[in-house]
Amino acid sequence: MAVSGRTKQTLSLIVHYLAVMLCGLIILFPFIWMVLGSFKYNKDILDIPVKLLPPQWNFGSYRSAFASGPFARYYLNSIIVLVAAVGLNIIICATAGYGFAKFRFKGRDLFFTVVLSTLMVPIHAVIVPLFVLMKQIGLVNTYLGIILPLSLSAFGVFLMRQFFYAVPNELMEAARIDGAGEFRIFRMVGMPLARVAVVSLIIFHSQYVWKNLIWPLVIVSGTDLRTLPVGISLFSGVFFTPYPDQLAMSVSACVPLVILYVFFSKYFIRGTALAGIKG
Amino acid sequence: MATSRAKKINNAGYWFILPALILFTFFLIIPMFNAFRLSLFKWDLLGAKIWVGIKNFRNLLQDEDFINSWGRTLYYTFLSAAILIVFSFIFALLLDSRKLKARNLFQAIYFIPVVLVTPAIAVVWKLMFQTTGILNAVVSLLFNTSIPWLDSDRIALYSIIMVQVWVSVGYYMVMFIAGLQNIPDELHESAMIDGASWFRRLFAITIPLLQPTIILVLVTCIIFVFGQFPIPYVISQGGPNYSTELLTLFIYKNAFKFLKVGYSSAVTVFYFLTMLLFSIIQIRIFQDREA
Repeated sequence: MAVSGRTKQTLSLIVHYLAVMLCGLIILFPFIWMVLGSFKYNKDILDIPVKLLPPQWNFGSYRSAFASGPFARYYLNSIIVLVAAVGLNIIICATAGYGFAKFRFKGRDLFFTVVLSTLMVPIHAVIVPLFVLMKQIGLVNTYLGIILPLSLSAFGVFLMRQFFYAVPNELMEAARIDGAGEFRIFRMVGMPLARVAVVSLIIFHSQYVWKNLIWPLVIVSGTDLRTLPVGISLFSGVFFTPYPDQLAMSVSACVPLVILYVFFSKYFIRGTALAGIKG
Repeated sequence: MATSRAKKINNAGYWFILPALILFTFFLIIPMFNAFRLSLFKWDLLGAKIWVGIKNFRNLLQDEDFINSWGRTLYYTFLSAAILIVFSFIFALLLDSRKLKARNLFQAIYFIPVVLVTPAIAVVWKLMFQTTGILNAVVSLLFNTSIPWLDSDRIALYSIIMVQVWVSVGYYMVMFIAGLQNIPDELHESAMIDGASWFRRLFAITIPLLQPTIILVLVTCIIFVFGQFPIPYVISQGGPNYSTELLTLFIYKNAFKFLKVGYSSAVTVFYFLTMLLFSIIQIRIFQDREA
């Protein structure tokens, strides 16, 4: 009796492992397929019967993706937009979070509600009026025009406020008695404590900025200022689409986030669990 | 002492929230109100704005393409949300089990699609959906038939939903795992001593205690999926026969391809109204739970 119970347990464990591995394989497959495809030749990509591994390895697709056409430029654009938008995001979220958590002033709750209500209005909901505004102030087809709207995140303000709430007021009080100004207290006392929250926010917001397609697609009309998602989406050859090149671009666009993920997976996953709080 | 001080009115707070307030007002809140204003005009971005009053809205309600797109987006949203909740919950149960070794590794693998650049991965899915792509190779091997993933206007939307689920399932799985870990072990242990089976515990303990997480996942999921853009944009451009033209794509095309700024602003207002409706329903659900 006891033996059969144990056999049943072992069996269920084996089924459990098989299920987990099978689902894991299915989930991972498109990514693997993307990487494999980038090493195939164009004729093998949609060939019948399907070639799982490249019959001949094509190591030239990455070189031709970067060398021919403006792909390297897209990459640079994406990096510029990422650094600027995430940097600005951290500054405004940290200051606002600190302000909302550590001071009491008239209209504070109202302002906070206003900021938080924009959680329901993601950027793709306002592309039309936002574009009109950008046109009026002459920011269409500029880096600044891409960057400014992408630097906003109500969730970031919320995250930083939650964090600064947990910091004891006595720390600020002590610095105040020493005669430090409010901004100096924020810089010397508040920010050094917020390192973990800031890293979480950097990782969270970087994903958003790096992946965003719709805003740069709308605000940029030439090829010079295209970011990676736009460049990949609009990529096509003159007579036919060189799929391996497009896949090589796709892989190259994913690689920075994947590397970041390998080293900081805890932050990615923690950020998601935190995002759950925002509802 | 410290708390009373912190509660003292201190106008320095204004300076701290000022940068955020300026940017949020300028780039989100003013555009929101402008959507209402622009929706009352006929405008092609270049010429003069022509005041038309509520004509855009009247046209909207008679425009089959819009009504279809709106209904399709709702259908897409709720079906995706339902599938996502079921699968992310099952995955969370599979991966939260203490019996599983290396579960952190598995969780990390299941999360990978969330990390990838959506337009980039949509390119691969588009290839996989082709007539001679890998998916049809598998289907023909198993069932000796082939599926017109993107060529049939009755199937394409479901293909897009499949990608949507694949992209997001790891995200909601992590939220569910966080929820599962909040359930005290003692509850399961004492129920096990009483001889409750796994299924019995699932429905008597896990799911009822997970209710806040379920609502949370549902709300985040609906807001996110309702605005989906890159997947249909890259994979199908809304086709065939408009069958995958979701609302954001509809707005994008009308504004920037057909240059109907007023009309697409009216659609934007509809977008807001739908969001408002969602939040009212959401508030009602939360209130009912507290009552």
